Amino acid sequence: MELPENLNKDSNGYESAEKIILRWDSTASEDARERMIFETDRQEADLYLQAVDEIQRSLSNVSISTSSNAGKNANAVDDQSKVNTTIQIAMARLEDEFRNILITHSSALETDSLFDPSSSSISTPSHHELEEDDTLSNDDSSHHHDLLQLQLQHCESSDSSTYRSTSSIREVDLMPSEAICDLQAIAMRMISSGYLRECIQVYGSVRKSAIDSSFRKLGIEKLSIGDVQRLEWEALESKIRRWIRAAKVCVRILFASEKKLCEQIFECVGTDIDDACFMETVKGPAIQLFNFAEAISISRRSPEKLFKILDLHDALMDLLPDIEAVFDSKSSDSIRVQAAEILSRLAEAARGILSEFESAVLREPSRVPVPGGTIHPLTRYVMNYISLISDYKQTLIELIISKPSTGSRYSGDQTTPDMEFAELEGKTPLALHLIWIIVVLQFNLDGKSKHYRDASLAHLFIMNNVHYIVQKVKGSPELREMIGDDYLRKLTGKFRQAATSYQRATWVSVLYCLRDEGLHVSGSFSSGVSKSALRERFKTFNAMFEEVHRTQATWLIPDTQLREELRISISEKLIPAYRSFLGRFRSHIESGRHPENYIKYSVEDLEMAVLDFFEGYPVSQHLRKRSQ
Amino acid sequence: MPATDYQGTSSPLTNIGRSLLPVRRDQVHAMESPIGGSASNEAEIESFQRRVAERFHDLASVPSDELLSLPWVRKLLDVFLCCQEEFRVILFKNIALVKKSPMDRLIADFYERTVKALDVCNAIRDGIEQIRQWQKLLEIVLCALGDSNVGYQRSLGEGQFRRARKALIDLAIGMLDEKDSGQALAHRNRSFGRHNTSGSHSRDHHHRSLGHFRSLSWSVSRSWSAARQLQAIGNNLAAPRGNEVIATNGLAVPVYTMGSVLLFVMWALVAAIPCQDRGLQVHFNVPRQFPWSAPILWLHERILEESKKRDRKNACGLLREIYQMEKCSRLLGELADSVQFPLSEDKEREVKQRVKELEQVLDALKEDLEPLEKQVREVFHRIVRSRTEGLDSFAREHNPE
Repeated sequence: MELPENLNKDSNGYESAEKIILRWDSTASEDARERMIFETDRQEADLYLQAVDEIQRSLSNVSISTSSNAGKNANAVDDQSKVNTTIQIAMARLEDEFRNILITHSSALETDSLFDPSSSSISTPSHHELEEDDTLSNDDSSHHHDLLQLQLQHCESSDSSTYRSTSSIREVDLMPSEAICDLQAIAMRMISSGYLRECIQVYGSVRKSAIDSSFRKLGIEKLSIGDVQRLEWEALESKIRRWIRAAKVCVRILFASEKKLCEQIFECVGTDIDDACFMETVKGPAIQLFNFAEAISISRRSPEKLFKILDLHDALMDLLPDIEAVFDSKSSDSIRVQAAEILSRLAEAARGILSEFESAVLREPSRVPVPGGTIHPLTRYVMNYISLISDYKQTLIELIISKPSTGSRYSGDQTTPDMEFAELEGKTPLALHLIWIIVVLQFNLDGKSKHYRDASLAHLFIMNNVHYIVQKVKGSPELREMIGDDYLRKLTGKFRQAATSYQRATWVSVLYCLRDEGLHVSGSFSSGVSKSALRERFKTFNAMFEEVHRTQATWLIPDTQLREELRISISEKLIPAYRSFLGRFRSHIESGRHPENYIKYSVEDLEMAVLDFFEGYPVSQHLRKRSQ
Repeated sequence: MPATDYQGTSSPLTNIGRSLLPVRRDQVHAMESPIGGSASNEAEIESFQRRVAERFHDLASVPSDELLSLPWVRKLLDVFLCCQEEFRVILFKNIALVKKSPMDRLIADFYERTVKALDVCNAIRDGIEQIRQWQKLLEIVLCALGDSNVGYQRSLGEGQFRRARKALIDLAIGMLDEKDSGQALAHRNRSFGRHNTSGSHSRDHHHRSLGHFRSLSWSVSRSWSAARQLQAIGNNLAAPRGNEVIATNGLAVPVYTMGSVLLFVMWALVAAIPCQDRGLQVHFNVPRQFPWSAPILWLHERILEESKKRDRKNACGLLREIYQMEKCSRLLGELADSVQFPLSEDKEREVKQRVKELEQVLDALKEDLEPLEKQVREVFHRIVRSRTEGLDSFAREHNPE
């Protein structure tokens, strides 16, 4: 066979190169099929790569020679075909080797040698997202967590204080550097021979399944929007917690490390190839990851979801710069966009939930009065809710940008309260919403108070509830700052007013019994007191006081200080009035028969009796005459 | 977090939120205008019905070789987006009515249907990604057998065919519907029989991982079924009764119309694009009096017929381009199995012809696949947005307890 001159020159090199290639043609021999070169024989691997280079060189020479001969030379065509076939055999081989190296090293990370079971005890996490590790039902996921931590430890043993952190991008070496060198060497040859597509294909398929197994260990599930809609909220809450933790690991460690690996293998091989490989690997997993957050962002809105949605929002907001850094290429545009879309939907959901909460508070329909005029469950719920809101102040101040949609003073709408914005100049929209919620709550409570048949109890109810609101606001510095002292004073005024109204409603008529008018018989001089009128007075007073004592002992003021204050205030009016009444008229009764029927109680008895008030227990017997 | 972090991201959100309000106000205003009232409402509903009918007539008027092509599917989605937008406007103009019974229930049902369509959109997005994988394999075939990357007339040798065949095998496996993968394996043995004896250890592994790869490409759980999802969308979708139409001032009609459009469009997407557990057994019981019922029913019938054709029965999607991919790759695979080297001029010409066809299919995919993906995403967004608006306006009036 007559070889073209230039081929002839290197014919020895070419022929031995071809021999090597053909020896490893897996379609030709059992041995070639079973053994992997790079796995078993370092020296042979280098020889093989050299052989490929040699063949490639001949191919370009042949191309030049055949094109200059315009393809007339049949031998040249033959040669070219032969070289092409050899290249194809070599590329098929390299593809298999490439895949084999990838597969070998994508499982290496998960071997037990890296995983030290005692390492679970090292997690006394400083970082808050790790605190809830015990909530993971899936042992695998914590296993993987430890695994990742260990890898990080391996990589950055010098910096042991931060190795566990997922608060910033932390690339891990997914493969040993020798493997990366081999992959690079193979990739270079596949790409220069025009086998870029095969290379990307193989790379993507192996790494994708590696990511998939990491996903399973992290507990990232495949859930449809329908699945998410059907799940109970409690179940979703724990899934959200897990997702937040997993997403941090995914973006900052998993995806970032994948990106680094692509760069390590492909960056020097050609432009944008690393990027193509990265997206081939990560696009599907990234979409799968974000699908869950997206499903949450469009789920049905209800008040209890607000805080987890805000958690999710904050986590994603926090991740966004890193998502943008990891997915910075043009081809990963769609992933950046999707993350931003989800973030804006979550923000929208938070706004929607807040306004839904407001209307729920306004229209909460329960009509059965709480016994004893104590704090209504709605009040507790709403106040706990808004103090939680104040915990999320930082986020919500950014998200809540419009004032609440309140009723208007002049609308004449009886179903919605008013709110005077003029007095609240300079408040953030969030603060206005919080005040509005309190306004709406009071409006609803006022409505509920009307269901008490006893006006005194209605006042006591309002006093208790508004006092509770004030205490709750004062108890949280954040909340207090947002609500503001002005509005707080207003609220304080309101419960004080309710206390006054209560006293008036209950005690004016009782104290009325202790007045002088109507007891003196006109015309008489020294003892001008009508005994029968006086006896009637004492009897009325006793009966009224007993009745008030009996009922109001069962009423409840849960706040001890408030209870104390109100009792003192009652005593301050009742005791002096009774004492002086007794002082003035005692002798008139005691001079008659059965004085004990009319003066049943000493001053001390009454003082003691007032102490029974608002304890929430029925007094077992009749008001006892303790001084006897 | 520093406040500056929020600047970039929070401002577009506020724009979205705000842009809706003026629209609402304008439309509320329009409703209150003196010409308003139920007569103009009726005319509006009437013209909505008419426009929906026209659009589907247009879709139905394609010759059979364009039905279910990528451009046709894109047009279908355009039609959906237009209908959805007009429907949304009608709802806003009648917001007061929408909140009253029985409209509130009808519209709540409608939103339930639309949420179910979101999962179909996501499944279709996965399906498009899968087509893209096949596209990449065919690009390898083109790379091996085509001459675009070589500046001279190159003769095809065994090497190129081996390369092409490898990609074609991967493609054939990738294109199999999951449910008949057993059957498929036999198919592979037959059609690539000559090569099968040389299936290597690592190549087997490779094929396993390809199968695995396919399952990875679905982002929904393995139990998710497109067929069942379609049934859920169509569940209880019934033409409104006369008293409902009267009680809703006619609004029940566009709600039903939009529900039917949604169902049909999702059904057609599932018919065309690969997705998990496809199934087309959805009943369309559209009464004939709706002007759009005729073209939709006709399209339904034509697509069903297409699915029953012998060579399409086991297809993973009725998209015309998928059919062409299949056909091209099958013919090329057969050629690759039968050729002798050196190639005879006849064979060479035949190969060139096939490669040219392949090139055309790939060009079509290159042109339309990405816009289609964007459109599917847009459909997703619009559905979410209209539902959110609905929820928001409900929240103001309804007692959530």
